[in-house]
Amino acid sequence: MNSAQPQHTAGFHITTLPLLCAPEDTVTSSFASFIRAVRPEHLSPTVRQRSKRMILDSIGVGLVGSTTRVFDIALRYCREMYSSVAVSSVYGKPGVKLSPTLAAFTNGVATHSMDFDDTWHPATHPSGAILPALLAASQMLPSNTKPNGLDFLLAFNVGLEVQGRLMHFSTEAHDIPKRFHPPSVVGTLGSAAATAKLLSLSSAQCCHALGIAASLAGAPMANAATQAKPLHVGNATRLGLEAALLAGQGMEANPLILDDIPGCSGFSAFYSVYQPKPLSVPGEHHEFLLEKQDIAFKRFPAHLGMHWVVDAALSVRNLFINYAGSFSPSLIRTIMLKIPVSKYINRPFPSSEHQARHSFQFNACAALLDGEVGLGSFSESSIHRQELRELLDKVVVEHPEDNVANFDKMYGEVALLLHSGDILTGKCDTFYGHWRKPLSKESLLKKFRSNASHVLPEEKIEAIITMVDNLENLSDSSQLACSL
Amino acid sequence: MGLQLRVNSVGAMSSMCKTVTGNFAKVIHGLNANQLTDQVIQRSKRMILDTLGVGLLGTSTEVCHKVAQYSKIYSSDLSSTIWGHLDFRLPPLYAAFVNGVAVHSMDFDDTWHPATHPSGAVLPALIALSEAFPQKKKISGLDLLLAFNVGIEVQGRLLHFSREARNIPRRFHPPAVVGTMGSAAACAKLLALDQLECKNALAIAASYAGAPLANAATQIKPLHVGNAAKHGLEAACLALQGLQGNKQILDMESGMGAFYTDYNPETLPTLQSYPWLLDQQDVAIKRFPAHLATHWVADAASSVRRKLMEGSESLLPLDKIEKVILKVPEVKYVNRPSPASEHEARHSFQFVACSALLDGSMSVQSFASENVHRPALRELLCKTQLEHPPDNTPSFDSLYCEVSATLRDGSTISDRCTTFYGHWRKPLKKEDLEKKFQSNALSILPAEAIKGIIETVYNLEKVEDCSVLSTFLSGQSARVLPEKLRFL
Repeated sequence: MNSAQPQHTAGFHITTLPLLCAPEDTVTSSFASFIRAVRPEHLSPTVRQRSKRMILDSIGVGLVGSTTRVFDIALRYCREMYSSVAVSSVYGKPGVKLSPTLAAFTNGVATHSMDFDDTWHPATHPSGAILPALLAASQMLPSNTKPNGLDFLLAFNVGLEVQGRLMHFSTEAHDIPKRFHPPSVVGTLGSAAATAKLLSLSSAQCCHALGIAASLAGAPMANAATQAKPLHVGNATRLGLEAALLAGQGMEANPLILDDIPGCSGFSAFYSVYQPKPLSVPGEHHEFLLEKQDIAFKRFPAHLGMHWVVDAALSVRNLFINYAGSFSPSLIRTIMLKIPVSKYINRPFPSSEHQARHSFQFNACAALLDGEVGLGSFSESSIHRQELRELLDKVVVEHPEDNVANFDKMYGEVALLLHSGDILTGKCDTFYGHWRKPLSKESLLKKFRSNASHVLPEEKIEAIITMVDNLENLSDSSQLACSL
Repeated sequence: MGLQLRVNSVGAMSSMCKTVTGNFAKVIHGLNANQLTDQVIQRSKRMILDTLGVGLLGTSTEVCHKVAQYSKIYSSDLSSTIWGHLDFRLPPLYAAFVNGVAVHSMDFDDTWHPATHPSGAVLPALIALSEAFPQKKKISGLDLLLAFNVGIEVQGRLLHFSREARNIPRRFHPPAVVGTMGSAAACAKLLALDQLECKNALAIAASYAGAPLANAATQIKPLHVGNAAKHGLEAACLALQGLQGNKQILDMESGMGAFYTDYNPETLPTLQSYPWLLDQQDVAIKRFPAHLATHWVADAASSVRRKLMEGSESLLPLDKIEKVILKVPEVKYVNRPSPASEHEARHSFQFVACSALLDGSMSVQSFASENVHRPALRELLCKTQLEHPPDNTPSFDSLYCEVSATLRDGSTISDRCTTFYGHWRKPLKKEDLEKKFQSNALSILPAEAIKGIIETVYNLEKVEDCSVLSTFLSGQSARVLPEKLRFL
């Protein structure tokens, strides 16, 4: 061919292979192969144990979340819109069933409604994005093809693993997010992967499930600290489920969705720096990210960052009580908080529960005032208490350079500058519940029981605990969903 | 029970809206039919007609069958029409979804500047919603027309917040970004949400917006429009239920700004003699179902073919052609030397050029499987190259395409197209717009319904009850429900 003129950018060359089969050496196809090929045998004991703890905690926070206003709205909406093919259970509502995707949506909203659900590193809320979809899907399948507990546990871990791997594609993901809310980005694909696994989709279908999910991913950070934030997790789990169902129906998307496509963004659209890496297809052994990196469970329903300042505040409160005999706010001139820079959790005077859960200042003062932070700390009356407002007035915030906005490295420091001139300080590097200092089994169960008791009777609560503990031995995993 | 409608509260919101978001809510809430200009009415009715036609045709596509199959797993008492189908209905959300997919299934729907496909994200949601109001409440044609224009206007205004949006996109597919917001605004308008609810509808919609461009030229692309329609409607419904989001969603970089690298939001003009964007900037209507950029190529290639055929042979002298050079802007996702599927073919400069050279013009049929794979076309594709002149900017307002065929004897025949017929600078004539609609609806609806839709849309502002549109869309004729055809 005569090529007197230089050929300008070759652009995106399409192979003559039909879109059904992604070429083997792409990142996208490696993910699809992993989802398809990974087996229960690949789950190590650590991974099993950790993921079961996550499942239990997630159910618990979902159950208590079913008492929230945002949950009410979501549920009412779903019930008004649809009634038939109602096979999937809703947390805390034994008489109610919804269609699978809407049940997933509602339960996802419940899970994140109070910001009480687990957090990972790099940062996202992994379980809420996948568990509701799996529960809903398990009830959808015909009785002779119900997945057993081990299949369920495996699918759950596939969903986690995919989320974790995706977050490692960008250094941006290591820090507290600024642009897109991570559960809405990686959570959607995690849900698609987990569901695809549970439904035993083919490798090509797994690939398309990821591609379809990418077009349903992404919600801006600005809705964090508002009532709409829980929808991010609700939609992640629901839309990921939809993506897998559509892929199962034969829908096809871009088989290179995770790969780098210059000039035309795929999944990279959500990041400014993006370096995708393939997953190795599990041979005899696959190291799940959960093995090396555990999860943080929250002790009270607020953004993870709050947990450091609360522990620091509690520690300085004790010092103060020893010093003054009791907690006497009038002796305090200034409350100095040393925190990392993160706009959406820096709120001097929160006016709603959602804002209060995302306020370093509020959480520090509540801890100082009450000696603990719990569910009740975020009620309307509690937020607007006069004594609390007075304390908030004394707060000053500093951002030391060494305090990075990163859940692995940050710390919280609370200093009380007294009128007498004395200074008392409390610092927390690792709060109880963080992956470096995980909740004990007793603490985790206590949290679950406390949460679940808002909506379920004791026998049901204990039944769920037992079921999750013995998940691998459950013959029909839809029983878990039915027990909610 | 259907959606609860609330009576508009009489109490006025504070007149000063300090945020862009609040300002948008105020305008969405405050715009009324008196502010629609004649030109806006005329243009938007053309858009509505064209959108219905491409949607009807689109119901015959594979992607549409799949989403309909999928959506059927949800059903309820409350239901809306699936265009072209009398045999089943779906809940409004899924009707909006399926019909939205239909509209974009062949890439045959309208395109605006800055670039997006505005109507497909809005119309299916509005029509589905109009059927879901409680029986007593009639939605008039004028209500529909106004809400439609609110949805279009919001999209256009959002696109102006970023310089990035002026060019053909690279990261997020615009319908998935602004289309979702437009659908939310339009539905909020039709539902008569109050100002606060309008704000929340926008905020909630933002959390559904955005899909990466890489799914363009695949079967998923139509879902971007379907989902935009569906999610915008959902956002408005959730807002009606009292759900709240960030009241500064349009103002913040971490709000709508998340979708752009440069983002500068501005408040809308005051409601007094409101200057609609559609008044200043018309849409382009496609003549064949493929990416807009290929329309320039098609016109240039057809012209080259005419020149080549002056020797009055009946077939293009293929073996006399040595090479074909296309001078086009750099748009990676429309650069496909050898497309393998209909979706890819609709996004290929090379394919459309060769197809037009072979056949003289492009049509729906050009993308049928047998035509995509025919040997003569493949042979010509092998001889085709692209060039990207630096002055050829990837903007639908300024791009051009030049087709040159170099023959074996060394001579070159070429033609350049700067404005194709159907572009906003050279809009389709009324007869041709109708012809497109009729041709699209032909295999799907009976003749009376086709005629009924054209008449209804042309007289939309006088239609008392716009559900007559849905009736026709489902394939019923006027005779079935005569009382609905009353014009004011």
